[in-house]
Amino acid sequence: MALMQITDLTMRFSGIVAVERLTFDIEEGSITSLIGPNGAGKTSAFNCMTGFYKASSGEILFDGKSLIGLKPYKITRLGIVRTFQNVRLFKNLTVLENVMSGAHSVTRQSVFGALLRTPAQRREERGIRENAEYLLDYVGILNKKDELAKNLSYGDQRRAEWARALAAKPRLLLLDEPAAGLNREEKDRLIELIHKFRADFGVTVFLIDHDMDLVMKVSEKVIVINFGTKIAEGTPAQVQSDPLVVEAYLGVSEEEGGAL
Amino acid sequence: MKLLDKAFRLLGSKGARYGVPAALLLAMTALPFFLDDYALHVLWNAMFYALLALGLNVIVGYCGLCDLGYAAKFAIGAYTTGILMKSFGWNFWLTLPMSILVAVITAVIIGAPTLKLRSDYLAIVTLGFAEIVRITARNLPITGSASGLNAIARPSLFGLRLTKISHWYYVFLVLVVIFVFISNRLRHSRFGRALAYIREDEDAAQAMGVDTTRYKLYAYMIGAVLGGVTGSFFAVTMTSISPGSFDFTQSANILLAVILGGMGKIPGVIAGAAFFAIFPEIFRDVPIVGNMRMLFFGLLLIVVMITRPQGFWPERKRG
Ligand SMILES: Nc1ncnc2c1ncn2[C@@H]1O[C@H](COP(=O)(O)OP(=O)(O)OP(=O)(O)O)[C@@H](O)[C@H]1O
Ligand SMILES: [Mg+2]
Repeated sequence: MALMQITDLTMRFSGIVAVERLTFDIEEGSITSLIGPNGAGKTSAFNCMTGFYKASSGEILFDGKSLIGLKPYKITRLGIVRTFQNVRLFKNLTVLENVMSGAHSVTRQSVFGALLRTPAQRREERGIRENAEYLLDYVGILNKKDELAKNLSYGDQRRAEWARALAAKPRLLLLDEPAAGLNREEKDRLIELIHKFRADFGVTVFLIDHDMDLVMKVSEKVIVINFGTKIAEGTPAQVQSDPLVVEAYLGVSEEEGGAL
Repeated sequence: MKLLDKAFRLLGSKGARYGVPAALLLAMTALPFFLDDYALHVLWNAMFYALLALGLNVIVGYCGLCDLGYAAKFAIGAYTTGILMKSFGWNFWLTLPMSILVAVITAVIIGAPTLKLRSDYLAIVTLGFAEIVRITARNLPITGSASGLNAIARPSLFGLRLTKISHWYYVFLVLVVIFVFISNRLRHSRFGRALAYIREDEDAAQAMGVDTTRYKLYAYMIGAVLGGVTGSFFAVTMTSISPGSFDFTQSANILLAVILGGMGKIPGVIAGAAFFAIFPEIFRDVPIVGNMRMLFFGLLLIVVMITRPQGFWPERKRG
């Protein structure tokens, strides 16, 4: 059974249908990509999968359990962790504090722990901190840990966001356009890093991107949507030669700068 | 401005982190031996505002919620203690747990339905609730109507009846230490960080697994409890309370102290509160300025907000 099964997912806003009867699976341990032109409904699909939007209809199963109607924090606790298209770090907190937030869903101490500072609480705090430092080192920005998040370069902010997501120990990692705004070199390192994420943490990765080059290099399965509906699905090679996909991308090739 | 920056940098250094508060505490402990009752009363008042500001700081500074009716929280504490002592003959110290309980219950009643909505609703609801509390207190016989409750008995501590202003000065000094301790421990914990995540970006906080509605309610409850306890102590220090002590100006002053002090930074919030309590006193007797001191006060506020919108307390030095 696939880790995530999406069936007939539809997301309607007043007037527009952002996602229409979308059906696909994400296999456990795979790296799967969702691509499509601007406004195709990729982020909307993501938001439905993470509880930020309430799907108009359809079913989303994670490990056989329905996610429909669950709040985002509950979905995170089940092991589905996302990043945002326009990096959403906690700007006025340090990079370390940002990454420590990832541990929230996998730790316990609350008000009384904080006030009494029990041995269990202190142990947990140390664990949270050490793990955050380990992950900052892992993504290569440990030297920035005490800086405010808003003072980081864009590329480093992206890294901090990945570290934060990894700190939540996800089973399924959802990356919304992780390569947006990165330069060529950073993109190459991202491709490596995504493979490393899977190898080192055993996560399943599902990502959105415009950058065909990146998607083709990184993923085993690609789902292509246009106007909210799936137009193709398969290996990168299959998808790339699909006439519908070529047409969808050529249709907007001027704005996209020839993404294909 | 340069000199000020330098002074702040010095204050932010490691040795100063414990040294300055310790020295301040020592000085505050010694002051009653040198000051007259009037000066002690001014300082007591400053500490009273500091307690309120620290309480509100959990709600506004830590969690980023907007509470426009914080005076209601200390009114509820003050009246709970006042009524239990006057109408039911309770010992002051036994009214404290009740005051906490009432604070928690009212916080849940107001917060639970409101905090599910976007944050701005809380501002309106707290503003309205504060008015309801004040008007209710004005009209109920048990709260003493418009004249309030008078001649509330002075409690004893370890056999000493707390009647002098110097007694209350020390009681409030201890309370400030306790509130700072609580604030500090909350801030540097998983719980306190979760509040900061909510303040910074509620959606991202949810995405990281924070049950935002629940944590906002916790922050609101803690703020209400701290305000309630402060109100209880206020009642027995002043021995009389009336609806006039809890009007909107009070709520606004406390909120301004928190904002002015730099939202969430403990020394800043205390300094903000002290400034509010002491500033009008200093200028009271200066000719001309004395009459217009609130005007100057307002101008000063505007200048601070324009030049340092993040509050006058500096960011912690990083790296
Ligand atoms: N909250 C919302 N309210 C109304 N319409 C929305 C909302 N979110 C998305 N939409 C609309 O749904 C459609 C799909 O948007 P979505 O952001 O999902 O596309 P996308 O594929 O992620 O695009 P991009 O590549 O630009 O990120 C767009 O027409 C958008 O305007
Ligand atoms: Mg998008």
